[in-house]
Amino acid sequence: MKSLTRSAAGLLLLALCLPSLAGASSAPATHEFRLDNGLKLIVREDHRAPVVVSQLWYKVGSSYETPGKTGLSHALEHMMFKGSAKLGPGESSRVLRELGAEENAFTSDDYTAYYQVLASDRLSVAFELEADRLASLRLPPEEFKREIEVIKEERRLRTEDNPSAKAYERFQALAFPASGYHTPTIGWMADLERMTVEELRAWYETWYVPNNATLVVVGDVVPSEVHALAQRYFGSIAQRPLPQAQIPLELSTPGQRLLTLHLPTQLPSLMMGFNVPGLATSKNPREVHALRLIGALLDGGYSARLPSRLERGEELVSGAGSSYDAYTRGDSLFVLSATPNVQKGKTLAEVEAGLWRQLDDLKTTPPSAEELARVRAQVIAGLVYERDSITSQATTIGQLETVGLSWQLMDAELAELSAVTPSDIQQAAQTYFTRERLSVAHILPEDTRHD
Amino acid sequence: MTERNGMRYGVLGLIVLTLLILLGLLVAMQSPSTSEPTAPGAATSPVLESLAALDGQAPARRALDIQTWTTAEGAKVLFVAAPQLPMFDLRLTFAAGSSQDGAVPGLAMLTNAMLNEGVAGKDVGAIAEGFEGLGAHFGNGAYRDMAVVSLRSLSQRELREPALALFTQVLGAPNFPADSLARIQNQLLAGFEYQKQNPGKLAGIALFEALYGSHPYAHSSDGNAQSIPAITLEQLRAFHAKAYTASNAVIAVVGDLSRSEAEAISAQVSAALPKGPALAKAPQPAVPKAGRQHIEHPSKQTHLLLAQLGIDRREPDYAALYIGNQILGGGGFGTRLMEEVREKRGLTYGIYSGFSAMQARGPFMINLQTRAELSEGALTLVQEILRDYLANGPTQKELDDAKRELAGSFPLSTASNADIVGQLGSMGFYDLPLSYLEDFMAQIQALSVEQVRTAMAKHLNPAAMLIVSAGPTVAQQPLPPPTARPSAQPTGVPEH
Repeated sequence: MKSLTRSAAGLLLLALCLPSLAGASSAPATHEFRLDNGLKLIVREDHRAPVVVSQLWYKVGSSYETPGKTGLSHALEHMMFKGSAKLGPGESSRVLRELGAEENAFTSDDYTAYYQVLASDRLSVAFELEADRLASLRLPPEEFKREIEVIKEERRLRTEDNPSAKAYERFQALAFPASGYHTPTIGWMADLERMTVEELRAWYETWYVPNNATLVVVGDVVPSEVHALAQRYFGSIAQRPLPQAQIPLELSTPGQRLLTLHLPTQLPSLMMGFNVPGLATSKNPREVHALRLIGALLDGGYSARLPSRLERGEELVSGAGSSYDAYTRGDSLFVLSATPNVQKGKTLAEVEAGLWRQLDDLKTTPPSAEELARVRAQVIAGLVYERDSITSQATTIGQLETVGLSWQLMDAELAELSAVTPSDIQQAAQTYFTRERLSVAHILPEDTRHD
Repeated sequence: MTERNGMRYGVLGLIVLTLLILLGLLVAMQSPSTSEPTAPGAATSPVLESLAALDGQAPARRALDIQTWTTAEGAKVLFVAAPQLPMFDLRLTFAAGSSQDGAVPGLAMLTNAMLNEGVAGKDVGAIAEGFEGLGAHFGNGAYRDMAVVSLRSLSQRELREPALALFTQVLGAPNFPADSLARIQNQLLAGFEYQKQNPGKLAGIALFEALYGSHPYAHSSDGNAQSIPAITLEQLRAFHAKAYTASNAVIAVVGDLSRSEAEAISAQVSAALPKGPALAKAPQPAVPKAGRQHIEHPSKQTHLLLAQLGIDRREPDYAALYIGNQILGGGGFGTRLMEEVREKRGLTYGIYSGFSAMQARGPFMINLQTRAELSEGALTLVQEILRDYLANGPTQKELDDAKRELAGSFPLSTASNADIVGQLGSMGFYDLPLSYLEDFMAQIQALSVEQVRTAMAKHLNPAAMLIVSAGPTVAQQPLPPPTARPSAQPTGVPEH
């Protein structure tokens, strides 16, 4: 069975005879350790420059939150800069700044991560600071009082005053009726207004434990030394039992949903999202890789279908795109979005029909060998280009680990995608691009409101 | 994949959304700083054993053997061999930005955006398929001083050669198809409509117009809804013929190539370019009058921009101003502006200041956003911080810390091939010596408090600021009181 698939794929992807790139895309040396307290450490060597990136990933994010308490993960991320046993408020940032480090943090549905990029002889400082706030965060109430105002400003900047982001937030709430992916990561404004520092303390004590964290280090380091350093700074932090984190599962056929939004924007736009599995929830990983390939066929470059057929060919849209994140902790969403070409008098209804034509085409007609060869060439090259950035290597590793997959998937990328056959693609399109899985949002300028 | 011109990315909010989803929410955006080395002293906090154990030496950085030559047609080439990864970056920087637009705002950008729309025998789709089928990335972009055209490809000969052949054709002999022009004009018009929902963007456009008046930096590189539809194919062809010449170009190459391979690549690309002289540099702008402008916008926040003319790239005070700004509001946390406005008062998500050193005097600018009802108070606070800083300069500790910071971040500035090709492009374009990175760091490390104070006060006048705000008109409220500075925190904030 497996060999059959491989040979079929081989035929499929052989049209463009790319020379063998075994050397080019072979994986760099990567080492995995686990401390006694459960902290996982992954070290990838990259000796091109005397620099290193350190990222500490926690398995907690907005999909873990409950109604009325949204935004806790992100607010806690902000408060992690406000002092711990050895450090006053803001001091870790000042220390790192003086060392010339780049540092920051990010929160998403599935994770919260903290990072430092710095000269490799200073890695110990990053570890000591990070370990200190994992073990002994202070959470001063007076700091929280000001920081929650900063967070509200962040929400105003990024969501309230940004019609595209606001539309996506509402769309996401509609598209995920059953799971925590419903929740915007920054939190609803009403929940930010009533958030307390006690809630943050409980959130911190629940999730910020070494057995819920992955430390990823990429750069000019010796793995055994990094292991010893991690042991020295993180080794004494006690592990604690964790609550069972349920995987976000969605309804398989929630029914078609339609959202109409009137926002302060000049142009109409459209979003379509289909409830689909991710790699962590699918029983058949091949169908997930088929969906990823569909994403690449639709929007993986300027020669892909949406730009070549809808933007240039029909001139139906002034822009269109698709996105699908297969590396989620739970179920995912396959999203298409587009802006009608209003100069050519195109409407949202015509654009919606045009996007459906592309989806239906995927169901009925297999992609050409040449098209698939282009995707493969981009995957091969992308694996090399990714290695130019230590940060993107670390982020891929950290994200895979934190959503419950393995970093080793990144090295299996090419094989996984090559195994997908044209009939896999057709079947995935037929299974998932259905009305009962669909949410549609029409975003319209305010002055077109008729009610 | 093909990178498209920035403006056309703006057409679709989804790009931004995707980033938001992938990256999640950052605590604060940090603007990347180009920076360099030297000898730092001991660090601050005795509580951290790791810090106490550092030897106080400036860190090493990736050794760069920068090689340079000039092509037969007169293009300057900068090359660094990087054999570690089987890939290379090629980046051409032309003095073909919007300061060369003349009476046609947007001409430089549109010419740049049209390069990959057609060549003899290939339409836009075939060009995109050509690059993408090889796994190559074609990139382009136009700014005020420069237009950039770049290629990233695997270095293996079977892939490199066809990618370079296509790149050379696109760069040297674009045929500017009429249907592509009409389509891109329409996309740009859609982009201008999208701009109207972005108060920060609107404020930025108004600020440049006020700051530069009739100077070629005044208009946005994107042009405007009046200028773009009127641009003709003849104008594009003429602009390409005069601005995309070898003598108007700098070629930066980094990657898994030998010197002779890099020479062959630069010769091939250079020979394909139109023939002609380098274009005249933009003149220096006249100094504008200070003033205030407001754009009414139905947003929750008010965006505030404060600016005056800064410096050009040849300014002898560049190092002093760079570090002076770094302390005031360059980069992320720990600057005076970030401490006072965000950390002590919670007024904003981010506040930054910076000099854009350009071919002619670029702007010095401070930008922030805050809730509308506190915007006047926030503006007054920012003006006070600036006035105080210009009058009194940094403290010795602030300067020492900033020197350590810049020395420490030096290795980050040349860590990746992408970093290096960017540095080479900039060094070549602004005619900086090959030792520029080391020279700059040496200058930084030699500066005294008085030199920094003098330079900042010489180039900036707090009474001469142009101010643009964009937001709703609402009743104003007083600022909340600042938090007391924790006594254990020894950072440089004005002590009065």
